[in-house]
Amino acid sequence: MKTITLKVNGQSVSAQVEPRTHLADFLRDYLMLTGTNLGCEHGVCGACTLWIDGAPARSCITFAVACDGADVRTIEGFEDDAVMAALRDAFTAEHALQCGYCTPGMLATARDIVLRLPDADEARVREELAGNLCRCTGYVGIVRAVMRVLAERRGAASP
Amino acid sequence: MHKGVGARLPRKEDARFLRGQGQYVANIRMVGMCDVAFARSAVAHGRIRGIVKPSGREASVFTAADLAGVRPIVADSGLPGFKSSAFPVLATGKVRFVGEMLAMCVAATRAEAEDLAAAVEADIEPLPAVHDMLEALCPSAPRIHEHWPDNVFLETVIDADLADVQARAAIKVTRRIRTARQAMNPMEGRAVLAYVDRRLDQLVVYAGDQMPHITRTGLSECLGIDHGRIHVVSPDVGGGFGYKAILLPEVVCVAWLAMKLGRPVRWLEDRYEQLSANANCREHHYDITGYADADGRLLAIDCEAVVDSGAYSLYPFSACLEAAQVGSILPGPYRMEKYRCRTWSAATNKPGILPYRGVARTGVCFAIELVMDAIARAARREPYEVRLANLVPPDAMPFVNVTNKYFDSGDYPQAVRRAVAALGWDGWREKQRRGLPDGRRIGLGLAVYCEQAAHGTSVYYGWGIPMVPGHEQCQARLSPDGVLELRIGAHSHGQGMETAFAQVANELLGIDPANVRLIHGDTALTPYSTGTWGSRCAVMSGGAVATACQEIGRRVRRIAGKLMEVAAEDLELVNGEVRVAGTDRRMTLAEVAHVWYRQPQLLPDDVDPGGLETTAGYKAAKDTGTFSYACHAVVVAVDVELGHVDILDYAICEDGGTLINPMIVDGQIYGGLAQGIGTALYEEMPYDDNAQPLASTLSDYILPGPSEVPEPRIDHMETPSPLTFFGQKGIGEGGAIAPPAAIANAVNDALAPLGVELLEAPITPRRILAALAAAKKR
Amino acid sequence: MKAARFDYEKPRELGAALKLLTEAGADAKVLAGGQSLGPMLNLRLAQPALLVDVRGLPELGEVRDEADAVFIGACTTHAAIEDGRVPDPTQGFLRKVARGIAYRAVRNRGTVGGSLAHADPAADWVSAMAVLDARIVVRGPQGERTVAAADFVLGIMSTALGEGEILVGVRVPKLSTRARWSYWKYCRKTGEFAEAIGAFVIDPDRGWWRGVMGATEGAPVVIEDARVLDPAAVAAEAYEPGTYEHQVHAVALKRAAAALDR
Repeated sequence: MKTITLKVNGQSVSAQVEPRTHLADFLRDYLMLTGTNLGCEHGVCGACTLWIDGAPARSCITFAVACDGADVRTIEGFEDDAVMAALRDAFTAEHALQCGYCTPGMLATARDIVLRLPDADEARVREELAGNLCRCTGYVGIVRAVMRVLAERRGAASP
Repeated sequence: MHKGVGARLPRKEDARFLRGQGQYVANIRMVGMCDVAFARSAVAHGRIRGIVKPSGREASVFTAADLAGVRPIVADSGLPGFKSSAFPVLATGKVRFVGEMLAMCVAATRAEAEDLAAAVEADIEPLPAVHDMLEALCPSAPRIHEHWPDNVFLETVIDADLADVQARAAIKVTRRIRTARQAMNPMEGRAVLAYVDRRLDQLVVYAGDQMPHITRTGLSECLGIDHGRIHVVSPDVGGGFGYKAILLPEVVCVAWLAMKLGRPVRWLEDRYEQLSANANCREHHYDITGYADADGRLLAIDCEAVVDSGAYSLYPFSACLEAAQVGSILPGPYRMEKYRCRTWSAATNKPGILPYRGVARTGVCFAIELVMDAIARAARREPYEVRLANLVPPDAMPFVNVTNKYFDSGDYPQAVRRAVAALGWDGWREKQRRGLPDGRRIGLGLAVYCEQAAHGTSVYYGWGIPMVPGHEQCQARLSPDGVLELRIGAHSHGQGMETAFAQVANELLGIDPANVRLIHGDTALTPYSTGTWGSRCAVMSGGAVATACQEIGRRVRRIAGKLMEVAAEDLELVNGEVRVAGTDRRMTLAEVAHVWYRQPQLLPDDVDPGGLETTAGYKAAKDTGTFSYACHAVVVAVDVELGHVDILDYAICEDGGTLINPMIVDGQIYGGLAQGIGTALYEEMPYDDNAQPLASTLSDYILPGPSEVPEPRIDHMETPSPLTFFGQKGIGEGGAIAPPAAIANAVNDALAPLGVELLEAPITPRRILAALAAAKKR
Repeated sequence: MKAARFDYEKPRELGAALKLLTEAGADAKVLAGGQSLGPMLNLRLAQPALLVDVRGLPELGEVRDEADAVFIGACTTHAAIEDGRVPDPTQGFLRKVARGIAYRAVRNRGTVGGSLAHADPAADWVSAMAVLDARIVVRGPQGERTVAAADFVLGIMSTALGEGEILVGVRVPKLSTRARWSYWKYCRKTGEFAEAIGAFVIDPDRGWWRGVMGATEGAPVVIEDARVLDPAAVAAEAYEPGTYEHQVHAVALKRAAAALDR
């Protein structure tokens, strides 16, 4: 067992973990933050995507023990985030979710696109979303939602 | 703002998912909960000589010998000649597919349970494995079930004398067509958490499940305990598509263990298990001949079809559902003089077949639409001209086709015309002639299908499946504060029932969807239902909801009429209120409810003693169900150096009848299209000669992502079904039916000048390049 | 799938890391970003007794602008290179390669050193560093040495790293402003490992007309003089003509060469 201390959704957390426990299981089982879902545990499907140290990362292939000192933000930690609020509204308006299982990971990636690539066009948005699989929506609503938030922010930014 | 039938109402259920508050089974925690991992067979076919439990941990490992009294899963079709197979929940005597469960290992965590499973030693004497359905049919093939004379679950025959047609036909196209085995891959795997409630003396089973009532029935049969002692709850489900419409051996095992240990027991399927042990759908083979006149008018179809049904018949659909369907649905909406079809459900050393979105319709559409395009090429006509010449025209409705299928309504030629126009077919033909600057070859393709859905009792009985749906029911209750609770036996796994059925209630009662709660998934709280599959819920559950709401409306009017001293017939239900038509006089639903619950002294003498609570049952006017249909039209660009296919444009004209929520309908089509593209170009689970599955991770089994799935244009025809409550039709599967055929036809259109015709899905670069190389050699 | 048990150490200095690796031998694996090792651990395809996390080692985090090369520490992430947060001596080549690796979430954690040491022949850095004639810097019990990138990957998951050695960084030569390059790969779908890679770097000031055929069954095939390029012949060095693999690799070279002229 190893002791780790990290920030999760703004709160400092200390815990003893088995090295083999990945970050997603640590968050889900130890901190009851079950918003992050497991889809493959080999880093392909993207369902487990959350933010580590200010950028999206896969929590299933990141071991909790390697996150000592890290700053982790899960879907629960974006409750009061303005960009995430805009994405949530857009996801509903554009029917960007059906079963909801891929949604937290999808939102984590979408937030990064909106902040990092303000001028992204549709092709770029699709390329950047490629690491998040959805089996329900055919991606149409998701792409529309991200494009919508990008356009809103460009509109708000221009004088 | 309109919030009833036809409104593009944003979904109520989104709120929790967007915040990571979906309650999937894996998110439920119970005190004392332990986790299960299964030791699974690495051998596809073998005799079990012994299973050795890890030394010192024997009490945590269970084999078939420990599960005394647990009956195997049996799913016998009622069709004559069906051969029964018993599927033991833990392997007994033989193993018959890679991934079959040998032992159940329980520990405090999943990781430790997997450690145990890895330490289980199975001594299995390997037997020759049957990895291919055609080989399974050879008399010399190893026998999967030794008490059978062959490896055939069921053979079906529709016979006809084709001699006359064969003599007359100017065009004869014969093809061997094949679709690959797939894994359905919902994002959430299967999941179960079971415990014993001592107060109620009940086994409680949380399961991600499309049919909780059927699971309850299945558990009752396998565990030998009555329904009253079983409570199944399906909470939020992360995708189904058919994958979770099954009585799982894992669920039986976990339920048994929960009763034995007296603590909560959980099993969460991971992706590796999904891929390596449960690639269980879609694998069809067709030897098919189309006979036509010189203009491409169909005279007859002659077909021998095989469905790879895996090793065991699964509950509740049985091993032969798809092959039995193939015979009756292959001709579809086409007119022809004669039709002959034989099918075999072949047993192989693979996981038992499960119906995946579209079921047999996807394979059937693939087969017949490729033949139609081949006929078009032979007749030197455009593919759409040949469809228009052969599809039943609207003035021939209602139409009884060559397999006695009753088509109640529909304008199939119009769907083709509109899809072709939406795509801009002629414009793309021009671009095809000019060619692309980078040398890729443009191809145009289309496919037509009809999706018979929400079929009723007699149809399923006719297909012989062990579970026959009857009436669907809804319990409706108006609470003292005017909230409407609707309880149905079907269950959502993403299709938005919480919203759609609130819209139905709004349509009939004027109640705001925000004040409607849908309760579903819980066998203790809802009426019995065969569940969510076969695109039946909008019609069946929707019809039941509507019927129940109508009855509530009648009772509300009677009470309000007494209170407002008008005839009940003069009252209308609008905006959450009861109003006297043409006046200002009104009271709210809540006020009416308050009287029933709190002031019964004010009620009319003839008030229905059932009050503001009722259970209504529903069946569509005819058992034949609804026929939604569509034409998909697609443009592809084929890179003949790489074999890579890009989709340049995609148009769909779909007739779904009355659309309860068009936004949700579009979402179903988009999602189905993505899965159809997977079938067409990317997804396959290959098996080697030892029936070993070869794609055990998502790096090998390719699921389409946002770069692979375009946004199609959807043109809706909304011809109401004459048989359902609002005229709505079942549409959930349609999107996944046509794409493989349309895309294959487009690729073949692109490559026909090079002498290439692809007949096997998925159309991978390897297959394209191999076909191009072979054509060059010729 | 959950990983089998392992121990974890995160040494703070290189000597300690080397000691751990030497003592554990084949039972230890180096952990950097974990994007390649993580899946293997979860799938139990790798079951080391010890993970040595090297992200705390200062030498592996350095980025140094040297005379005619840039030293990029092993723990530099793909995203840092993609974003230009690390000096790019290759006139944009490194950034373009980085951007095409897997997905952004993977690039945020995955490292150039980890990718090279993992030695999946389809990994982008394996081909890219070979065509750049980069030098892999290795530290071990015997001290520091450099290995030409083209000689570093020996086969699938097999490198020139000796026992107890750690990949410390990669030294990427500075290309002249007259340099041209192209990098072309074929993937079945966006973000997946390449089926075939073709890459060229033309730098007249260095006298370079280098090419590489990557995503092979082992080491990338280096083309020393790409002025006379026969894609089919190069592909035949690794694949039987007439096979799918031969075809896609020949096409990758052809298209990478064509991209140079744009």
